[in-house]
Amino acid sequence: MTNSTTVTEAVLSRRSVRAFADKPVPLEILRQVMDTARWAPSGCNFQPWEGAILTGEPLRALQDKMRATPPQDPKEYSWSDPEVLPECLARLHQVGADMYAAMNIERGDKAARADFMSSNIASFNAPAVLMVYFPRVMGAPQWSDVGMWLQTIMLLLREQGLDTCPQEFLSLYAKLIKDHLGVSDESHIFFCGIAIGYRDEEDPVNAFDRKREPLDSKIKFLGF
Amino acid sequence: MNVSEAVASRRSIRAFLDKPVDREVLARVLAKAQRSPSGGNTQPWNVIVLTGDPLAALLARVAEVIPQGLAAYSPEYNVYPPELDGAYQQRRFGVGDAMYAALNIPREDKASRLKWFARNFQAFGAPVLLLLHTKRYMGPPQWADMGMWLQTVSLLLREEGLDSCMQEAWAVYTKQIRESVEIPDDHIFFCGMAIGWGDREAAINRFEVPRAGIEEVVTWQGF
Repeated sequence: MTNSTTVTEAVLSRRSVRAFADKPVPLEILRQVMDTARWAPSGCNFQPWEGAILTGEPLRALQDKMRATPPQDPKEYSWSDPEVLPECLARLHQVGADMYAAMNIERGDKAARADFMSSNIASFNAPAVLMVYFPRVMGAPQWSDVGMWLQTIMLLLREQGLDTCPQEFLSLYAKLIKDHLGVSDESHIFFCGIAIGYRDEEDPVNAFDRKREPLDSKIKFLGF
Repeated sequence: MNVSEAVASRRSIRAFLDKPVDREVLARVLAKAQRSPSGGNTQPWNVIVLTGDPLAALLARVAEVIPQGLAAYSPEYNVYPPELDGAYQQRRFGVGDAMYAALNIPREDKASRLKWFARNFQAFGAPVLLLLHTKRYMGPPQWADMGMWLQTVSLLLREEGLDSCMQEAWAVYTKQIRESVEIPDDHIFFCGMAIGWGDREAAINRFEVPRAGIEEVVTWQGF
């Protein structure tokens, strides 16, 4: 991917990357991406997004703290309610099954869970992580704004040859992360991390086929 | 068109050319947008795309109730947080002020401002209106997923030379939308997106929209 990366190429080549090459991400590239991403839209131009990008020692120190701490209870927010999300749960399980099949891993639930926890805490060894948070006063439409900003960042990173993995998982350590960053837990909710780095082209975890619903099940055209 | 150009050239377009949009183009864009990410691969977005007669019928239905003012409003969620501190109010009013200044409408001319606001409900003359809805049980993280999808669509539209305007404003006429198109009762209506060929010469499409500086958004550690 280069500066000639089209939007289509960026959208289609973006995937959650779960194995990164051991190669640092230059600050200049990230500054440029974050600067351009300010033009993401938001209702009423609120621009509700805020974030911190960590690399090197501050990132490692935070990950060490997470390893030594159990996930917080209560949760920062509910990812989804399994009671009412049967279809969605099926899609989630499908991704998990496809991913582990690609990795050629057959294992019991316990080992799989331990692996899931430790690799997520390490942000899949990505050299940089964007931590995303915003004021608690924001409602569901502003979460959508933050989503627009995040996808803008992820597509701009593709243009720079970089890959990402959005990690709602990290909200299990929301308070710890905010404390590490000096962000107020009272005023701000933590949403997610975005692991950032160069894709490990060899690792099968980055190569399994991801499913999407067929277009006709999501879209109705009227009047055409 | 590369990603940077699409991001930089996307803006809320509020005047469109009288030129239709092919269904094939929209189908191509929306098929690609299926690759937008979502937590747990939930893909919470559901979409109705209107043009021609069905769109005209919706606009006419809403036009009937606009004179009733706030009494006709039926939003199913709060577009703005009820409590908002000054900095965000500033950002909100900043866009309005810049827009009305570009149109030479003074602050005290409420009637002209309202008339322009009502253009929301003609989809600013766009030939296509997309309506986005999702299951009511979806929580805020799934609304973030819908946002990722919306921005994916708006950038793919730029690549096709098309423009858009995301319109939460439609939420106030959810009742009339439900009368005009089929949205299941267990779904919530989120927003519209006007789609078409922007009239880039129009003053309303040319004013400068402010954004916060990068230092207000991001902090850096370890670089």
